[in-house]
Amino acid sequence: MLTVTNLNSGYGKLQVLYDLNIEVPGKGITVIVGPNGAGKTTLMSSIMGIARVTSGEIIYENIPIQGELTHNLAKKGISYVPQMGNVFAELSVMDNLNMAGFLMPRDEVKKKSEQMTEIFPVLKKFIHRDAGTLSGGERRMLAIAMGLMKNPKLMLLDELSTDLAPIIAEKVMMEVARLRDELGITILMVEQMAKRALEIGDNAYLMVSGEVRYSGKADDLLHEPELCSMYLGIKPDSGQIADVAKPSVEGSEE
Amino acid sequence: MTPWMASGLVYASGLALTAGSITLLYIVTRTFNFAVASMATFGFYVAYTGVAIYGGLPYQYYPLVFLFGSFLGIVCYYGLNRHLLYRQAAEITLMMSTLGYDLVLLSFIQMYADFLTHTYRLFPRRVTMNTYDFELFGERAAAIILPIIAIVFLTALHMFLTKTKFGVAMRATIENPILAGASGINSDKVYLVSWVISGGMASLGGAFMAMAMTGSPTMGMFTIPLMFAGAILGGLTSLYGGILGGFMIGMTEYAGVFYLSQQLGPWVLGYRMGIPLILMAVTLLFFPRGLAGIPLSKYLKSLSGKKRGDGV
Repeated sequence: MLTVTNLNSGYGKLQVLYDLNIEVPGKGITVIVGPNGAGKTTLMSSIMGIARVTSGEIIYENIPIQGELTHNLAKKGISYVPQMGNVFAELSVMDNLNMAGFLMPRDEVKKKSEQMTEIFPVLKKFIHRDAGTLSGGERRMLAIAMGLMKNPKLMLLDELSTDLAPIIAEKVMMEVARLRDELGITILMVEQMAKRALEIGDNAYLMVSGEVRYSGKADDLLHEPELCSMYLGIKPDSGQIADVAKPSVEGSEE
Repeated sequence: MTPWMASGLVYASGLALTAGSITLLYIVTRTFNFAVASMATFGFYVAYTGVAIYGGLPYQYYPLVFLFGSFLGIVCYYGLNRHLLYRQAAEITLMMSTLGYDLVLLSFIQMYADFLTHTYRLFPRRVTMNTYDFELFGERAAAIILPIIAIVFLTALHMFLTKTKFGVAMRATIENPILAGASGINSDKVYLVSWVISGGMASLGGAFMAMAMTGSPTMGMFTIPLMFAGAILGGLTSLYGGILGGFMIGMTEYAGVFYLSQQLGPWVLGYRMGIPLILMAVTLLFFPRGLAGIPLSKYLKSLSGKKRGDGV
């Protein structure tokens, strides 16, 4: 569905990604993991036309999209949930959902909003509250709901578990798996909570310093002890997630 | 209504619109629009051309004034601002580009003033627009009509920003342009609409102010420090703060001059612009984020708390 070929990109004069190649097959979860500064978020930004692509190709449904404006990508069915600033804090939950459905007819927005509040009941409770007053977990739920409003074909999820308590992060991961299993949405997911993400993922890429160090099945990466311990802080078969992969508990109340 | 209060209301209504224009454009595009000076002057000249050549009242030309200001905004956006925004130019570059545009507009204003003189035998370099005004309920009509127009316009703007899909999209883009783009909101349209509204507000503000001061090709140049003072007093991050800031600056200038000249003598008139600027400086000393940074709700709560305490 999405193919990234020999991608070089960055911000201004700073190059972050070097000849990156990624393949995202349809109706599955592709997980991008790697240490801080690996360029995972820059990859997302490059796909969404936010970071500057200097060379290479990004093909989405057989059409090159590199250099395309962000709002045009939304029209093509690509939904992006950024790591930071993924809700409009000064708008109400309702207005956030309305904005997420900006390209849709009014009736459809209403229908979809109701559907979203059924999937995420917590949003219904706070529908008229400003999104900035929601807890970290609630905001992530709203961010995912906003991503889903557009009936996306491809969802780009950037570090959904950041700042969430482990129990909430686990809930969010279950939701992501459900999006693939029940709605058949293709998901490209960047995640610091590497072990759990690899468990629900189909394919995986390990990125280090702007380059791909591993590509293959997500399960198989969990059985690469050297890579897992060196870059992801996962002790294989221990069932433990080491420090670097642990989410913080800040802003995690339900 | 005393004469200073009437003139103050007219002038402050105009200054509120120009300060609001500066603030709106800054929060949407990060651009400090120096061209607001010439846009305001052009607003005055559109109204003046109407009444001097075609007759009638200045007020009936205000829709045209707004449209012409919007046109000047569109020219600036497509000619300069858009290219710089897409190249992610620094704020100083964006600001200086509008200064250049302002100088170009100023040249056109001078040419237009000459054109009016040579073609229509008018004297457009020192115009007292209030000679075209009339009396309403025993007062200058402008002192009643202009604040009402300003309030109606700002209410309509508020409704647009809070109740319409595109208005909410504008607020969303102001808060988070990346997420807005990812939601399918075309930031290009948002920037364009902000220039349309902002240009219209600037010209309308200039036409208002000319009802209280002498209209001339350089009236915008002389009043731009106060327009910016209003926007800065408002905190630069809140449209409503900017509008209130502009209004306060305008009223302070007139009230200050009136009372101080009575107490200290007419020499104070020479320092009239200093009075509102002192107000701005003092306010910023206590509230560095301007009027928008004043925690009104906290004060109201503490006031109500004190009242409860008094009763115990």
